Amino acid sequence: MGKKVLIIDDSNTMRKIVTRSLRQAGLDFEAILEAGDGQAALDVLAGETVDIILSDINMPVMDGIEFLRQKQADPKIKDIPVVMITTEAGADILDEAKSLGAAGSIKKPFTPDQIQETLGSLL
Amino acid sequence: MDLNKSISQATQEIFQTMLMMEANPGQALTERDNGFVDSVSAIVGMAGTSKGMLAIHIPESTALVITSSFLMMEVSEVDEDVKDAIGELANMVAGSIKADLTEQGQDFKLSIPSVVCGAEYEIDCLADSDGVIMPFSIDGGEFLVEFHLQK
Repeated sequence: MGKKVLIIDDSNTMRKIVTRSLRQAGLDFEAILEAGDGQAALDVLAGETVDIILSDINMPVMDGIEFLRQKQADPKIKDIPVVMITTEAGADILDEAKSLGAAGSIKKPFTPDQIQETLGSLL
Repeated sequence: MDLNKSISQATQEIFQTMLMMEANPGQALTERDNGFVDSVSAIVGMAGTSKGMLAIHIPESTALVITSSFLMMEVSEVDEDVKDAIGELANMVAGSIKADLTEQGQDFKLSIPSVVCGAEYEIDCLADSDGVIMPFSIDGGEFLVEFHLQK
């Protein structure tokens, strides 16, 4: 059975770019799901099983850090790997994401090769 | 820190990596005009050890070229996709400048981008601030990137 990915970003443009980059990176997903913020992502995960999550940090409603916190508290989804895709490259915020279970990070702007390199080992 | 260089490098990297386009920086402007005509502007606020703002001002025709390239589809009018794309562009430039400033010991949080557009509008910059305004040209138009840091 094919794998599923959930992309969380408040920018529709960025969700489309990430989707395109996944295909350019040769990562073949059965389904690419999208959410515009952390709360919307939790709503998606209440009804869908995914293999990996790519999440922005700086978002309205629920940011990527709070999403990680809520995900860690839910035994049904806590083990799904999350890769942060963000402009927030500061060590402090990425350390916080890592302490909340983030499996890796990719800085915007990114190339399909960087996506492949980071996600390849997690799938 | 050389803000001109930081803005130039960040903008050029984003255009090369995400848009497959060259953005050529011009000479930094010495005077700022508050008024914009038939344009799209995206502003990202920076708050922390001091206050700052990053703004990108793009004529509508150039914004359409950039958005079409971002989305790899023809975009012919300024709609939510254009506002979202230009906002994300400002967000990425602000993130890169933030990283440079963090290395200098400054600590900032970035706001969610705000985008305005229209036939005629004005945008004031932060009062009592140091600023840099850089023009860029791409194949399809020109645009401005400005950054201000409160004194």
